[in-house]
Amino acid sequence: MSKERAIRNLRLCSKDCLCLFVCPTGATDTETGQIDFDKCIGCGACSKACPAGAISMVPYEYPKEQPKDDEVIEKLKFIIESKVDQEQLANYIIKNSNNEGEKFLAKIISKANRLILEDLYRESGYMLPQSKKTKEFLNQLLEKDTTNNEVINKLLNLLNFND
Amino acid sequence: MKKYKCPICGYIYDEEKEGIKFEDLPDDWKCPLCGAPKNIFKAEAIEIEINEENDKNLREMNLGEISALCSSLARGCEKQYLDEEAKLFMTLANYYNNKAQEQGDFSTIIEKINKDLNSNYKKASEIASEKKDRGALRVIGWGEKVTMILKSLIDNGIPTDKKVYVCDVCGFVYVGDEKPEICPVCKVPNFKLLEVKRGA
Ligand code: SF4
Ligand code: SF4
Ligand SMILES: [Fe+2]
Repeated sequence: MSKERAIRNLRLCSKDCLCLFVCPTGATDTETGQIDFDKCIGCGACSKACPAGAISMVPYEYPKEQPKDDEVIEKLKFIIESKVDQEQLANYIIKNSNNEGEKFLAKIISKANRLILEDLYRESGYMLPQSKKTKEFLNQLLEKDTTNNEVINKLLNLLNFND
Repeated sequence: MKKYKCPICGYIYDEEKEGIKFEDLPDDWKCPLCGAPKNIFKAEAIEIEINEENDKNLREMNLGEISALCSSLARGCEKQYLDEEAKLFMTLANYYNNKAQEQGDFSTIIEKINKDLNSNYKKASEIASEKKDRGALRVIGWGEKVTMILKSLIDNGIPTDKKVYVCDVCGFVYVGDEKPEICPVCKVPNFKLLEVKRGA
């Protein structure tokens, strides 16, 4: 298998089509606009040729996650706990309030907190879905409750863990 | 830096905290808890230690936290164009989000926001500066600003005749009809500021 594959950013693609001329396998010529990953051999020709800078080469294998300091993780965890509470409280208001204005405000708060939380986790040692920490997390979820075992096992199979 | 675990009583010698490498301790050093001699401490303890910590982490993670971590990983997959993996993580995120329960009102939220602004962010920022963790400093800086905006929205309410946009990167909320060119908090171009509609 090749080490990387080409990805086309459809927001940037100006349909200048040089990629169609240079691709040795026809992988760039598709109806959906995205590159045919099964055909792509990762040669990088399209990415070099594209005048719009719309194609990037994405690796199949990622380097190990950068280690994080325990104390930093601990301090971020305090913020995480608080933001989760805020999000869940907002969700409670969304479900239980009869006031449309309140519900809307709660919806905004819930959304914003979720985005903050996702970012906090990225900086708490869970940047990379292929990391050892993610793998351990998934394995522990398996033990927690069996409802989602199928989903979790699929993830464990699909993700190309690197550590 | 390593951690060493006493095989007798479980005491952990943490090189980082102690500031002295375990190797450099005198030979007659003894476990401060149980008095076990130095030579029976094992370095393999690091591995065990990490696993234990992770176990503890999950045991302490509530359902809302599990949900948020799953949706964060879903985004990571999305960025790598791993669509199927992203969907699977979102399935988990939604499952755990629906199971999470917490009761209260806006005043409870404000209490927590005040604690974030007065203490949590400050402490985190101190440690992140000390450890020179720029990624952590970034997330702290953005999060603090967005938290202040949320506080002011709760305090002042959202005018019913204005549109509302949320930055899909940092969570910044913009109230008004004309979006700014870039997100003032994270600087992403404004196509990532997504309108949130009123009603279901
Ligand atoms: S060369 Fe670049 S701009 Fe042209 S069609 Fe291919 S991706 Fe789009
Ligand atoms: S990397 Fe090579 S094979 Fe893959 S789409 Fe681009 S030109 Fe075609
Ligand atoms: Fe932003």
